[in-house]
Amino acid sequence: MKRRLSTICLALLIILAIAGPKWLGLQDGVQAPAYSKPYWLDSTVAGSFTLDARDGEEVPLSWSYAPPLRVTITGRLDEGFVRWRTPDGDFILADTPGELDLDARDIPFKRAMGISPFGNMASVLFPADGEYKLDLVGRGDVSMKVEGGRWGVLGTDHRGRDVATLFVRGIRVSLLVGITATLIATLLGMSLGLLSGYVGGLTDTLIMRFVDVLLSIPTLPILMVLAGIWGKGLWNLVFILSIFSWMGTARTVRAMTLSLRDAPWVEGLRAIGARRHYIIFRHLAPEALPLLLANVALGVPGAILAEAGLSFLGLSDPRVPSWGRALHEAHTYGAFTNGAWWTILPAGLGISMICLIFMDIGRKLEEQVDPRLSAATALTFQREGEE
Amino acid sequence: MITLLKRLLGSAAVLVVVLVLNFFLFRIMPGDPLTGIVDPRFSPEAKQQLAAQWGLDRPISEQFVVYIREMLSFRFGLSMMTGVPVWDELKNRVPNTVALLLPALVLSSALGLWLGVKAALRRGSIIERVVLLSGAISFSFPSFFVQLLLLMCFAYLWPIFPLRGTTSIPPPAGIAYLFDYIWHMALPVFSLVILGFGGFALYIRNMMVKAMGEDYVLMARARGLPYSRVVWNHAFRGILPPVLTILLLSLPGVVSGAVITETVFSLNGVGRFLLEATNSHDYPAAGAAFFLLALLTVACNLGADIMYVLVDPRVRRESSRG
Repeated sequence: MKRRLSTICLALLIILAIAGPKWLGLQDGVQAPAYSKPYWLDSTVAGSFTLDARDGEEVPLSWSYAPPLRVTITGRLDEGFVRWRTPDGDFILADTPGELDLDARDIPFKRAMGISPFGNMASVLFPADGEYKLDLVGRGDVSMKVEGGRWGVLGTDHRGRDVATLFVRGIRVSLLVGITATLIATLLGMSLGLLSGYVGGLTDTLIMRFVDVLLSIPTLPILMVLAGIWGKGLWNLVFILSIFSWMGTARTVRAMTLSLRDAPWVEGLRAIGARRHYIIFRHLAPEALPLLLANVALGVPGAILAEAGLSFLGLSDPRVPSWGRALHEAHTYGAFTNGAWWTILPAGLGISMICLIFMDIGRKLEEQVDPRLSAATALTFQREGEE
Repeated sequence: MITLLKRLLGSAAVLVVVLVLNFFLFRIMPGDPLTGIVDPRFSPEAKQQLAAQWGLDRPISEQFVVYIREMLSFRFGLSMMTGVPVWDELKNRVPNTVALLLPALVLSSALGLWLGVKAALRRGSIIERVVLLSGAISFSFPSFFVQLLLLMCFAYLWPIFPLRGTTSIPPPAGIAYLFDYIWHMALPVFSLVILGFGGFALYIRNMMVKAMGEDYVLMARARGLPYSRVVWNHAFRGILPPVLTILLLSLPGVVSGAVITETVFSLNGVGRFLLEATNSHDYPAAGAAFFLLALLTVACNLGADIMYVLVDPRVRRESSRG
């Protein structure tokens, strides 16, 4: 377990999920225009920034990009005027004192600048590469917000939220749902498996037939229907997932219990008058635990994939950002037609990565419980250069 | 015969559970099923009339009888959204789902089988690497992610396949319709094959590696039989029953995958109908779609069971005796 790549990755992910938003200064909510590109992708497009000019100040700006998507001017002008100096000529943006709230898309503003109502004012204000100046002649406090098509490390989604922030927020949901749902399912499976294996008889038959039936029904449709009926909250999802994924564990535990039921030490316990629940919970359950540890780790990917699948179908809480939800939104709100691959790749790779991590950990645990496994059956892929 | 009869009984039991589950799922929710479609401004009389239309004013036992009759006769009642019998809306969608799943299942199991055996025979070859990698992908990559990537690459960046739909609009006539249909289905089926063959190939590889080390295979080789005969008639023949079991256990997952695949590629299938019905709280429609998907799984399961009986001589002998 020590210094295995997957455990290090998992630790990093957990640290990122807990401390990431604070350390990296990630901001929730709408940040920039929709589908802004990642910052490193395209240097011909401007990023988003704000120019602030106070009493009589001249704020310089050197510009070498395509025209921005959006320009807004806010603030207060007490006297004088606001001038925008471009390489191709000057504009007087405002000359009447008062509160300023101008948007380059407003038609009155366009008319005042002498542009047709259908013209693109952003391209008129930023006609060419070169040196610009925001010049406040007089008194006041004016800020000009320029929004280009670039934002952050991973760009923005269809609403203009930072994809990197959503990615970090998604870690929490995946881990939380994956681990709690699997834990609950394992507990359920363990209890039913112990019961079925130890008690035997009609109980055993009933539980195992039920397992057979559940294993041969497609679960996703049931999960969808339940999520639709019981609501889309996070904990509803956990509950729904856990009641439909305990069957495998129950089978494993039952097989183990059957092999232990008639072992001499269990018989000895019965002989000294131990009660049934005492034998089951104090002696048989601890016996099953190491086996179940690997089972939990191997079950997490299934739960994470199921959660992501439900979220992808739109059956998750829209207020909780998760990776499946991100892919749902990318698919529904036309990430394709905008060529916004950066809304798809991080979330998808995140899910895959976390599943691979848990599969690797689970396999390692399984090998430690049963060393014979490491020889022949490789359930996950072998990586070169390791061990 | 007894084994087969047992399997038939098992399938029937699954169907009964599905039917009962389906009935109660939609009746355990808070409130009454009409809240979704009834405007609060409706008069109580109008509401009662609507309840009578769906039989919701009767006692629950009577509702259950009517429900079972509707389900078994494939009428499925009236849709709450459109008021049209659900089967009329569903019947055009069933062929699309079958046309999606059947080729995908056949192709991916054939490919997985072939690659798995090849990988087991040549340990350390490129084929084995491919099998191990695709196995890892099929266990850990979400299907919709892979499908979205495929859609992005082959329908948007390099548009050789359509972005959505089962047919072009309007659909072409005659033989062109068939080609158009195949063209629309190609990418979804391809994606399911890519996602499906890996896990299957991995299982077959693992079992084949074990089988090739068995004494009976060594014996067959010592007898000087041709290598291909040793591989296929002895080693592979021996692992066929567990292979069928794996196939059987993977069927519900395949049917579940249909819902997601149909959503990603906007195919007009039963899975997407279920999603739409669930989202619009159209309970008879959702129940019918769920029932059909379960029925599809049970039918496939039964098919695999029958093959199992044919393939495993122990079961066959036992059944001929009984």
